[in-house]
Amino acid sequence: MLQVALAQLRQHVRRFIAVGLAVVMAVGFLTATLMVNASTEASLGNSIGATFRNADLVVSEGQDKQLDGSALDAVTGAAGVGEVYAHRQASIAFGSAAGASYGALQNTAPAGLENLELLDGALPGDGEVAVDAGTAEKQGLSVGDKLELAPPAGMVAAEDVAAAGTALMVSGIVKPSKDPFMMVQPQLFATDALQQQLAGADNSWLRNIQFDLAAGADTAAVKDTVTAALADAGFPEASVNTAADQTKEVVASLTGGADQLTIVLLAFALVALLVSALVVANTFSVLIAQRTRELALLRCIGADRGQIRQSVLAEAVLVGISASVVGVLGAVGLMAGIITVLQGQPDTEFATLAVPPYAVIIGLVVGILMTVLAALAPARAATRVAPLAALRPADEARAGNSKGKVRLAVGLALAVGGAVVLALGAVSADLLIALPGGMLSFIGLLMCATLFIPPLVTAVGTLAKPAGVPGKLAAVNAVRNPGRTSATATALLIGVTLVAMMMTGAQTARTAFDGQLGAEYPVDLSVGDLTSAGRPLDASAAATAVNYDGVAAAGLVTNGGYAEVHGSRTGVYQLAPEQLALLQDKTLVLDGNTVLMPQGSELKKLTVTGSKGSKELTVVEADSWTLPPLISSAVAAEIGVPELPAADSEDYYSSLPQLWVSVDRDLDSWALLDLRSQLAAGLEVNEYQISGAAVERAAFNQVIDVLLLVVTGLLAVAVLIALVGVANTLSLSVLERTQESSLLRALGLTKSQLRSMLALEAVLIAGVAALIGAVLGAVYGWLGAQSALGAFATVVPDVPWLQLLAVLAVAVVAGLLASVMPARRAARLSPVEGLATV
Amino acid sequence: MTTSTEQSLAGAAPDGAASAAATRGLNKTYGTGDTRVHALKDVDAGFDAGKFTAIMGPSGSGKSTLMHCLAGLDTADSGNIWIGGTEITGLSDSQLTKLRRERVGFVFQAFNLVPTLTAEQNITLPISLANGTVDKDWFSYVTKTLGLTDRLAHRPHELSGGQQQRVAVARALLTRPDVVFGDEPTGNLDSKVGAEVLSLLRRSCQEMGQSIIMVTHDPVAASYADRVVLMNDGALVGELDRPDTDTILAALAKLGA
Ligand SMILES: Nc1ncnc2c1ncn2[C@@H]1O[C@H](COP(=O)(O)OP(=O)(O)OP(=O)(O)O)[C@@H](O)[C@H]1O
Ligand SMILES: [Mg+2]
Repeated sequence: MLQVALAQLRQHVRRFIAVGLAVVMAVGFLTATLMVNASTEASLGNSIGATFRNADLVVSEGQDKQLDGSALDAVTGAAGVGEVYAHRQASIAFGSAAGASYGALQNTAPAGLENLELLDGALPGDGEVAVDAGTAEKQGLSVGDKLELAPPAGMVAAEDVAAAGTALMVSGIVKPSKDPFMMVQPQLFATDALQQQLAGADNSWLRNIQFDLAAGADTAAVKDTVTAALADAGFPEASVNTAADQTKEVVASLTGGADQLTIVLLAFALVALLVSALVVANTFSVLIAQRTRELALLRCIGADRGQIRQSVLAEAVLVGISASVVGVLGAVGLMAGIITVLQGQPDTEFATLAVPPYAVIIGLVVGILMTVLAALAPARAATRVAPLAALRPADEARAGNSKGKVRLAVGLALAVGGAVVLALGAVSADLLIALPGGMLSFIGLLMCATLFIPPLVTAVGTLAKPAGVPGKLAAVNAVRNPGRTSATATALLIGVTLVAMMMTGAQTARTAFDGQLGAEYPVDLSVGDLTSAGRPLDASAAATAVNYDGVAAAGLVTNGGYAEVHGSRTGVYQLAPEQLALLQDKTLVLDGNTVLMPQGSELKKLTVTGSKGSKELTVVEADSWTLPPLISSAVAAEIGVPELPAADSEDYYSSLPQLWVSVDRDLDSWALLDLRSQLAAGLEVNEYQISGAAVERAAFNQVIDVLLLVVTGLLAVAVLIALVGVANTLSLSVLERTQESSLLRALGLTKSQLRSMLALEAVLIAGVAALIGAVLGAVYGWLGAQSALGAFATVVPDVPWLQLLAVLAVAVVAGLLASVMPARRAARLSPVEGLATV
Repeated sequence: MTTSTEQSLAGAAPDGAASAAATRGLNKTYGTGDTRVHALKDVDAGFDAGKFTAIMGPSGSGKSTLMHCLAGLDTADSGNIWIGGTEITGLSDSQLTKLRRERVGFVFQAFNLVPTLTAEQNITLPISLANGTVDKDWFSYVTKTLGLTDRLAHRPHELSGGQQQRVAVARALLTRPDVVFGDEPTGNLDSKVGAEVLSLLRRSCQEMGQSIIMVTHDPVAASYADRVVLMNDGALVGELDRPDTDTILAALAKLGA
């Protein structure tokens, strides 16, 4: 029977390629995911290992205590220790003709332990310093140039550094350290003595102590000796490791996050595998259905059921093996490509491709198993073909079987039960209850897809009526094999539901967060404190701010008096009537007798004191928790506006004017963050001094946008696989209907009508799947957001109509594309050819 | 009852106008090199309007090929073809399609009907394809004559073979085409049902003036025709007027079929 399977594969290569494509994509995704983790570890190992590649043993600090001079003494004094390098690192300011900056000054190692790679010049000696290539380029430094180094203090201005600093000569340019802890900052290197002299008091910390073994010493013995010596010196938890072990340890501490990333990616790979299994199972079923006569003939001439099953499974194994191999190779190729690109970037030069055997093996095994498991049901169907079927004309109507009923019953039970649990989770705002409920109900729905997908396709199919005969036929053909249509649509439904769920969840979370922000921040943007030059903000700042695109209004809010709030003296701000509009909460009003206080002030009355007198005012609480006490400018004038106190006064900081800005509502997050940078530059303040609801909203939106993009991208793999499924089903159906297509052509259906008929059929299936997916996704997304956020925010469903419409549009277009190849094949057939193949 | 002569064929040769269908100098080859088959060799043929013509000949003689070319289902290598006075040589695929829809009817040996459509939908399919309107009276007359009135809502797999062929005949007649083609329309039917379908074709020719061209192997079927055209080895080799079974058998025997 293997012979039969091989003949099948040879004869119908194209059909099996279609099956394989879905497997290739899912296996590729899975393998690439597994390689991400290994490659991250390899890259980190490569970079971290480089920093102690010449040492025999490395001492690193324990949880209890940092390494310092006494640890160094303990190591140096221990028996069997050769050369020792205590790795020091201190913050330092450096200045050259090109300007000043902060950097990390490290000491060089004794010759045997040195791991710096010189690109130019020599390692630093007395009065010399080496810099990394990146910094040298930025600062325009080359060997022989002068560089001023000074201990870090306040502002970094070239003239300050020059005044306080020590002049050194650049002796050499070294390769930037591959140490991920070091990569972001300028790296400078000096001799041990000079480093300690320049870095000053704060330099006792040792990053690690690396050392060689004395001639003839035994690694394990020295390790024990040094460990004991360190314990005696008061470092019981310090560890002594070989360089290789130490690398592993650091990598492990760094890749905790990478593991989580892998788990998340694996979840998406799992979705892709599930969809792929559905597509494979469905395609195999169609292939079997089309071979009914042939299988029956085999049974007629004496093949038993087992042989038929084996033949089908053999096909599945062969397809599984070849597709999995291609998938794994594809994943390796993809990762190699990405790593090569990363290696070209200076910051990720150390990127290393790792192809762990487990990734390859898991990819292959999962791919083959999935294909075979997916083929089990079709194989069973193949064994049920009666020998007599060879003699009977293929019969259109098929009765439902009992196994189908069991599946429907289980599916319904799961769907209803899961939905109840999900609703419970949403009501009690508990994601841990909602999540399993949601998953169960979704699985249940998928299991009884045959109940609702075909009727929906038929219903939507009536929309195709105006397209005339092709439309009518497309609607009928789309549900000709309800099982096949349901399986095809289900594969697509999964991906679309997840995408729509993420979109709705994100949008709902955004809206909920917006509500929270309104309560937290009184204004869109508030700019506080002093400019970089140390001056308070003044009226010119408001004038500057309104000139920027995206700023709707801006006003300087100044001190209007002081009050005792729960025993502490607080500055009270005055608000001119036109400035009231700057507040987020437009319902707030201020009159001659009220003071606005933040939420939770627990006060009824507050006495505000100005320069001329004081007044008792009624407290009105705002929703915001961070609103400063506010009085109207009329009241402030009545009690006398105080002068701005002197800079050393206690009242200074609570009296400084603030600039309040309201921004255009339609500003997107990128534009807003950009505006913040522009404002910071224009007002001469640091970006962190500009805060407020708009910034938080922008930052949050940005995170959500990026997450959504990534998740959608990952789910796109599953959607793509499902579309391969749509194309598969359609092309097999086209093959099956060759005679019918020819007949229609003979009777006057034009080529383009034939093509549009198939296109409509694909669009119907894809469109209905996307429609159901979008609706389900919206519901799941809302309930999910409610379960996750309901405990600390009011969650109102917010459906991202535009995004969901876009998903629908993509599905429809993709359906069209999926029909292109099958339709072209069908149209190529001349009417006579089809009639000949009786 | 006369055996054919070259003259009589040439006499029927087309100016196109009077015939339901006609060809001149039609050539068609299949394949290349060793497997090259000259399926039609310079065929000049005319088929009178309002007449029932049968095409006969040994297997592989080119009957189906001729019919496919005549019906615009296939294109010839050279030569001209007319349908109801219109030359169809060199028409584009979509023009041919339109022509088939409106001016030609078909009854095939098997697989005549679209399985997803009801009998009624199958019958009106060419008209729906042309976005035309069904002539209600004509429809009920045709379906009643064919005895299909209470089978119209059935799908093909709920109909017997004979009923399916009758549905195909109804479909072919409904558009009142210039010519109805049949390729062994009774090949799959038992002799009684076959006779039924043939009489229907015969009646539609006599009563409705429908032109019919039918390919058949069966001398009994051919005897329903007004004229039998004989083919051998890709060429027209004779014809019989008002034939009966015996003359047909005799003529075929001469061809060695
Ligand atoms: N698609 C094709 N490719 C190659 N050769 C073909 C093709 N169709 C027909 N032929 C050849 O052309 C010749 C005429 O075929 P055609 O089908 O017209 O014969 P026929 O008279 O209808 O025969 P039958 O009575 O058996 O149906 C035959 O020799 C046949 O082998
Ligand atoms: Mg034939």
